[in-house]
Amino acid sequence: MELTERQGDAISELINIAFARTGAALSELTGHRVMLSAPEVSVHPTTELPAALAKFIPGEIASIHQVFGGPVAGDALLLLNHDGAVHLTDLLTDGGGAPSSRLDESAREVLTEVGNILLNACLGMFGNLLDVRVSFSVPRLHLETLEELLDSLTAGGSEPQYALVIYTAFHVRDSSVKGFLVMVLSVTSLDRLIHEVEAWEERQGQS
Amino acid sequence: MLNAALLRWMNDLAGQGILITDADLKIRAWNRWLEEHSELTAAEVLGRNLLDVYTVLETRRLDRHYKWVLEGQTRILSQRLHGHLLPLPTKAGMSGFTEMQQTARISPLIADDGRVIGTLTVIDDVTERVTREAELQAQVDARTQALAREKAAREEAEEANRLKDEFLATVSHELRTPLTSILGWSNMLLAGRLEGAAHDRALDIIHRNAQSQNQLISDLLDVSRIISGKLRLDLRTVELPTVIEAAVEATRPAAEAKGVRLTTTLDPRSGPISGDADRLQQVVWNLLSNAIKFTDAGGEIEVRLGSVNSRVEITVRDSGIGIDPEFLPHIFDRFRQADPATNRMHGGMGLGLSIVRQLVELHGGTVRAESGGEGKGATFTVSLPFVDFRGGPERAERLPPNAVGHPELDCPPSLQGLRVLAVDDEEDTREMIRAVLEHCKMEVITAASVPEALDAIAKSRPDVLLSDLGMPGEDGYVLIAKVRALPLERGGQIPAAALTAYVRAEDRVRVLSSGYQLHVPKPLEPNELVAVVANLAGRLPE
Repeated sequence: MELTERQGDAISELINIAFARTGAALSELTGHRVMLSAPEVSVHPTTELPAALAKFIPGEIASIHQVFGGPVAGDALLLLNHDGAVHLTDLLTDGGGAPSSRLDESAREVLTEVGNILLNACLGMFGNLLDVRVSFSVPRLHLETLEELLDSLTAGGSEPQYALVIYTAFHVRDSSVKGFLVMVLSVTSLDRLIHEVEAWEERQGQS
Repeated sequence: MLNAALLRWMNDLAGQGILITDADLKIRAWNRWLEEHSELTAAEVLGRNLLDVYTVLETRRLDRHYKWVLEGQTRILSQRLHGHLLPLPTKAGMSGFTEMQQTARISPLIADDGRVIGTLTVIDDVTERVTREAELQAQVDARTQALAREKAAREEAEEANRLKDEFLATVSHELRTPLTSILGWSNMLLAGRLEGAAHDRALDIIHRNAQSQNQLISDLLDVSRIISGKLRLDLRTVELPTVIEAAVEATRPAAEAKGVRLTTTLDPRSGPISGDADRLQQVVWNLLSNAIKFTDAGGEIEVRLGSVNSRVEITVRDSGIGIDPEFLPHIFDRFRQADPATNRMHGGMGLGLSIVRQLVELHGGTVRAESGGEGKGATFTVSLPFVDFRGGPERAERLPPNAVGHPELDCPPSLQGLRVLAVDDEEDTREMIRAVLEHCKMEVITAASVPEALDAIAKSRPDVLLSDLGMPGEDGYVLIAKVRALPLERGGQIPAAALTAYVRAEDRVRVLSSGYQLHVPKPLEPNELVAVVANLAGRLPE
C-alpha cells in the first residue's frame, strides 16, 4: 500500500495542525519557543520498518510508546536517537550545568511527557476525524535498539500491519532535534483512516 | 470481595497519592497517603470539586489536563517541567524544597460502554530522587570543570615547554653566530695572514662579536635571576635625564650605523626618582636597541622624558615595522617572539622586553606598548612613580658595564709607576691585565696561585691587589683572609679587588665582607680595569 500524493498531502496537513498545537503547548510549558517542522509522511508495511528507520536512527533509541484502543487500535511511538533525546531534554529544561550525556529519571519523565503531548495531539486529531473515541494507555519510555522495539509492538493478530511514518524535527533555541512519529495500524484501520482523511480533504475543498 | 480488597490496598497501603474523581471532577477517593501528606482528611474533601479544593490548579492552568483526560487522553506531568501537581508541604531538609516534588499520571476511567466516567490521578513523591539527581549532576559538572581545568593547565604547560624549546634553539643560534666570527677571524690572525687595515678590522670584528655575546649572556643571567627572584635593586636617588642620556649615547653608534635618526626631548624637571641607575639604564638601552633593531634606514626614534601627575614617563617611539595587534598582549612575555622567522632576520632572543618589564615592575612602575599595527611604528612607555626625595649624600653612579663601542684606553698619569699584583689561574686573563695596565705605565706582577701571590706580596710590596676568586686549591677568599692577617707593614692593608664571574648579589656581599674593597664582575673592559685600579689606589682622575 502506498499513499497517493493527494493522500499524503492531506495527512500532512492534518498532522501539521496537531504539530502546531503541540508546539504551542510545549512553548507554554517550557517558556521557550518550540516549533515542529512540517511533517514528511510515508506508509510502510511493518516488515519494512527496520529498513525505513534504520538509516535515520542507528544505535540505541529512546521511544515513547502509547497503545491506543477503540474502533481504531494500534501503537503510537515517538522515536529519537539517544543523543537527540538527551539534547531535546536539555533544550527544554535549561539544563543549567554541563550538558548531560545520560538520561536520568527526571529527564526520562520529561521525554515521556513531551511524547505524550505530541502523540495525544495526533491521535486526538485522528479520533475527531473518525468521530471515534480513542483511549490511550499510559505512555512508556524505553531505551533499546530499533529491533527490540519493533519486536515489542503489541498490535498483533494475523492481519497485515502498516506503519504511518512521520518525520519531523523539534526546533528549540536555535537548535533542532530530529525524530519520527510512527503509528502502527492494522490494514483495516489504516484504510479507514485514509478514507476519512480523503473525505475531510473534500469537505475542506468545498467549504 | 476482590474489589473491596483492591480498594483497601489503594486506600491504606499504596505508597503513592491516589485521587479519584467523577466526570464532574468531584472527589470520590482520597487515600491515606494523600491524607498524610496534604493535611486534608478524606472526610473534608470527598464530594467536593477538585478545582475548588485546589483553586491553584486553575491558576496554573493544570485544569486543562483533567479536561483532556475526560476526553479520553492520559496525561503525564513530569516533575522537571511542572514541579508538582498538588501543592503538598514537605520538610525542607536536605532537599531544600518546601513543596513536595511530584510526578503525576492522570488517566480516564472508562465504563463498559466506552464513556469516560471519571479520572484517576496517581502522584509520586520524587523529592528525594530529584535531590539525588541534582547532586549527581553537580558531581558531573564538577568533574567536567576539573577536567577542563586540567586540560587547560596541560596545554599551558605544553605551550611553555614549546616556547622553551624554541628559546633554547634561539639561544644556541644566537650564541653561535658571534662565535663563528670570533673563531674565524682569530684563526686568521693567529695564522698571521692579516696585516695593516685587515688586521685592525679583524680585531674590531672579534671585539664587537664578543661584546654582543657578552650582552646575550648578561640578558640570560638577568632572566635567570628574575625567574629565581634573586634580582636585587641597588636603590639610590637617580637623575633620569643622566641615565637616559647615557643609554642614548651607548646606542647612538648602532643607530647611526643603520641610518636611523635618534632624538631626545628630556624634561629636566622630571625626577629625581628612587631607583637602580644601572637597571634603569638597562631598561632604556633595551628599549632603544629594540627600536633600532626594528626600524629601517631613514627611520626615526624619539626618546621623551616627562611627568604625568605623580609619575615620570619615559617614552621610546619609533617609525619601524610596528607590532601585530594580536601579538601586542604577549610582547613582554618571556621567550616570546612575534614571528620567529622575522626575529631571525632581526636577531635577538626576545628577552630584552621581558627584562624591561620585570625591571620596571621591580621599580614599582609599569610599561606598555602601543602600535597602530604592522608598518606603523611602535611606542613603548615606561611609567615610574615619583618617590620622596630625601636628600642625603648622593653616590656616584657607575657607568654601564655594557657601554657599546671600545673607546681609546684612558690612562690617568697619576697611575704611572703604580705596582699592581694580578692573581689569576688563567694565563690569558693575567696577560690581558698585564697588557692593559702596562699600557698605562704601571708595573704589573702576576701570580697563578695563592702561594705565589703571598710570595709576591712579601717580595715586592705591591700597591694594589687584583685577584680572581675561583682558583684550584686555595681560592680568592683564602688569599684575602691570609693577606688581611698580615701586619700593616707587610702589606696587610693592601687595597684589593675581586675580579669574578660570580655576579649574584650574595656573591658581592661575601666578597666585600671577606676583605676586598671592590667586587668587579667579569668580563670587564680595559677602561673599567684601569678605573678599578685608580679607585683602589685612591688616585681617581679629576
